Amino acid sequence: MRRTLVTLSLSVTSATSLLAQEHAAATGESVNLLDPKAGLMFWTLIIFVVLLVVLSKFAYKPLLSAVEAREAALEKAISEAKADRDAASKLLAEQQKQLAETRADVQKVLADGRAAAESMRSEMLEKVKAEGADMLDRTRREMQAEKEKAVAELRREAVDLAISGASKVIGRNLDSATDRSLVESFLSGLDAPKGTR
Amino acid sequence: MTTRLLRFLTAVSALLIFALPARAQGVEQVDIITPHITDSHEIEIPWPTWPTLHKVIELPRWHPFTLPVIGEVDMSPTKHVIWMLIAAFTVGALLIFAANAQGRQTRAVGHSKGFAGGIEAMVLYIRNEVIIPNVGHHGNGFVPFLLTLFFFILFCNLWGIFPWGSTATGNVSVTATLAIITFFVVEAAGVRAQGLGYLNTIFYWNKDLNIVLRVLLFLILSPIEFIGKLTKPFALTIRLFANMTAGHIVVLALIGMIFAFKSIASGAPFLMAVAINMLELFVAFLQAFIFTLLSSVFIGQIREAHH
Repeated sequence: MRRTLVTLSLSVTSATSLLAQEHAAATGESVNLLDPKAGLMFWTLIIFVVLLVVLSKFAYKPLLSAVEAREAALEKAISEAKADRDAASKLLAEQQKQLAETRADVQKVLADGRAAAESMRSEMLEKVKAEGADMLDRTRREMQAEKEKAVAELRREAVDLAISGASKVIGRNLDSATDRSLVESFLSGLDAPKGTR
Repeated sequence: MTTRLLRFLTAVSALLIFALPARAQGVEQVDIITPHITDSHEIEIPWPTWPTLHKVIELPRWHPFTLPVIGEVDMSPTKHVIWMLIAAFTVGALLIFAANAQGRQTRAVGHSKGFAGGIEAMVLYIRNEVIIPNVGHHGNGFVPFLLTLFFFILFCNLWGIFPWGSTATGNVSVTATLAIITFFVVEAAGVRAQGLGYLNTIFYWNKDLNIVLRVLLFLILSPIEFIGKLTKPFALTIRLFANMTAGHIVVLALIGMIFAFKSIASGAPFLMAVAINMLELFVAFLQAFIFTLLSSVFIGQIREAHH
């Protein structure tokens, strides 16, 4: 439908120019198309100059200044974005550097800590071992002393018993120093074969 | 298929309707082309009178006055003056409207849209792709002149395609004036850009040559340089004038053939007339563009000329 209308309007367009001109053809004088008319030239000059002045003042100036303002704004936005991006990348590099440094620090601290712990552990182990050995030694020595004391006690006890038993047997009191030394020599005689055995 | 048929029928019926008055008037031969492409002291306006659809208005005749050198000047308004005024008013109204709308939209949303955006795109294209590259650095001063040239020529051309309209740019006086204005702008640009060096664009004086050759070449080349200056506006004048006139003559001749055939065969010239009218629409833009482009090139040339 629209194209039909277009066709119709085109037909009218083509035909009307013809219809419009039919009447004016009567004048038979020959026409020189290249003959310039001073009046028309002046009119052209006036119209063109006025149009130029009006358009420059009221059309081009606002239009182009708006465009230039927009271009300037765009340029500013772009340069700002670029500056921002540069700053951001610089910041990022800095951050990354710092991160790497921190990581290295952490590694170092960890390694140091591990080494310190290791050395401390071994030190303590040594100390504990030494202490343990020390304690064992002392205990052994004490035990030896106790044993010797007990043996001495036992021997005295045994001498007493033997003397009292013997005095019962022979009916008299054997409490002289000679008796005691006799028993003791006997007991030490007991010790000797025991030691050789 | 039906739409095609419908279109064809519409075209044929339109042909028949518009052929009727011609038939009624009989066989007298009328020159329809010359009045259409020449200036006159009367204009046609749309008027609902069947079947001519127009009314002739006589324009006032003023007394010619005499100027020194130029001679007698008849400033009476003619058909082409009226159409130039109409073109100037439409250009002014559209561009100022577009500039205002563009400013408003730019403030509102940061960019222009719609009609104002289209005009802005045209203006920017002419400025950025045609004027600045050809005129060269600091060419901004020439932008208003060249843009006005473009839009004024474009609208004169377009009003010529409009029914009842007439192509002011198909008149050699109009194109010659535009070309002369361009010529003065070009030469003024040369003087401003080169100062005294501008004389080198007229007088060929090559200091690298010996004196005999220098004088000889000066005598031969200086007239050529000078004629070269004049041929540029002459070429501008004739190119625009001839293009606009030729297109109209072709369209009118084809329309005349419709009535000469008086049969269904009239469809052929009708379709051709439509096609040529389409071409004229393109040529209207093209010639305005070429005039602007060449003016920019001439300005750029003389600003850069180093002989």
